[in-house]
Amino acid sequence: MDIQALRSQIEKIDTLPTIPGVLRKLLVVIENPKASLNEVGGFIANDPVLTSRVLKIVNSPIYGFPGRISSVSQALILLGLNVVKGMLLGVSVFEAMQKTMLGLWEHSLGCAITARIIAQKKGLTEPEEVSVAALLHDIGKVVLGLKFPEEYKKIMAEAEDKGIFILEAEKKHFTISHAEAGAWIAQKWNFPRNLVEVIEYHHKPHLSNGVPVQTAIVHLSDIIIRAKGFGFAGDDFVPAVNSVAWQTLGLSEADLKEVLSELEDSLSGAEDFFLSEA
Amino acid sequence: MKLSKPVINEAGMILLGEGTELSNALIERLHNMNVSSVYVEGAAAPQKPLEEILSELDARFKKTENEPNMGLLKKLFKEHIEGLYK
Repeated sequence: MDIQALRSQIEKIDTLPTIPGVLRKLLVVIENPKASLNEVGGFIANDPVLTSRVLKIVNSPIYGFPGRISSVSQALILLGLNVVKGMLLGVSVFEAMQKTMLGLWEHSLGCAITARIIAQKKGLTEPEEVSVAALLHDIGKVVLGLKFPEEYKKIMAEAEDKGIFILEAEKKHFTISHAEAGAWIAQKWNFPRNLVEVIEYHHKPHLSNGVPVQTAIVHLSDIIIRAKGFGFAGDDFVPAVNSVAWQTLGLSEADLKEVLSELEDSLSGAEDFFLSEA
Repeated sequence: MKLSKPVINEAGMILLGEGTELSNALIERLHNMNVSSVYVEGAAAPQKPLEEILSELDARFKKTENEPNMGLLKKLFKEHIEGLYK
């Protein structure tokens, strides 16, 4: 299949019968760039399952707010529309994540927590935006797994049998990887340009022009959470860190040590959360 | 070991307050009251033997540990893990 055909197939994913119902409804809301804070808030509040998932996630160590957030509207004000849109997508695909690849949800959450810690260390003004990008960085794996379930099973089996990175196995089959697939769908769903860029370049952070720091953070968080052995992203290996991203972040040994120790605390605090979501 | 959250029974009564230092006697009493788990302060003690954790770390890094900065990252992880076992 050529790349254009592949792209248009992937973009039609919302018509798949296997797409979770809540995601289908949600897409109508998030694909509309004019959707207001109230409309999105109303949509969430009408769905008790979604409301409880949103509140659970905003009160989790991913965001690290000190107090409790008890209402959806409060979450929207604190986090902003774009972050909440991304988070909604995250909570609506987590079942699909677990189906495609057991452990991918934990990988994504762990990556989001790591990204938030690094973003705060770097003094970014919007650490939540980075953590939501990290939460969704592997959305392409879900998309490929939903759209091409048989092929993707083979890809996962090949990665395991040959001991190669899932990324290499994907490229062999599709010529593209989950990074491109994820960026296509994020674009189709009208996600903010920054988010699309992080998803597209999380394995090639040196190509990110618009948000090099955010992309570098998600790239490094992916590596750190894999090194930690937390969750499963399709293979058992730690990818190499990109030198440009490493320099962009300029984290010292002491900084990295602090990141690891904060991560340890956040992950043990999150255990409850992971168990209840799984 | 201190409680990081209070222990509350089904009726909503606080059996033990946050920050209570757990003694063997208290743990025994909690057992008798069928309390199967509590929240305690600090990270949980790792469950696998150190050697096993470190050999898993080696396996995860085996493809890339000679790439730039990966040796440092691995070293930091190793030190971090060893610190958890002290």
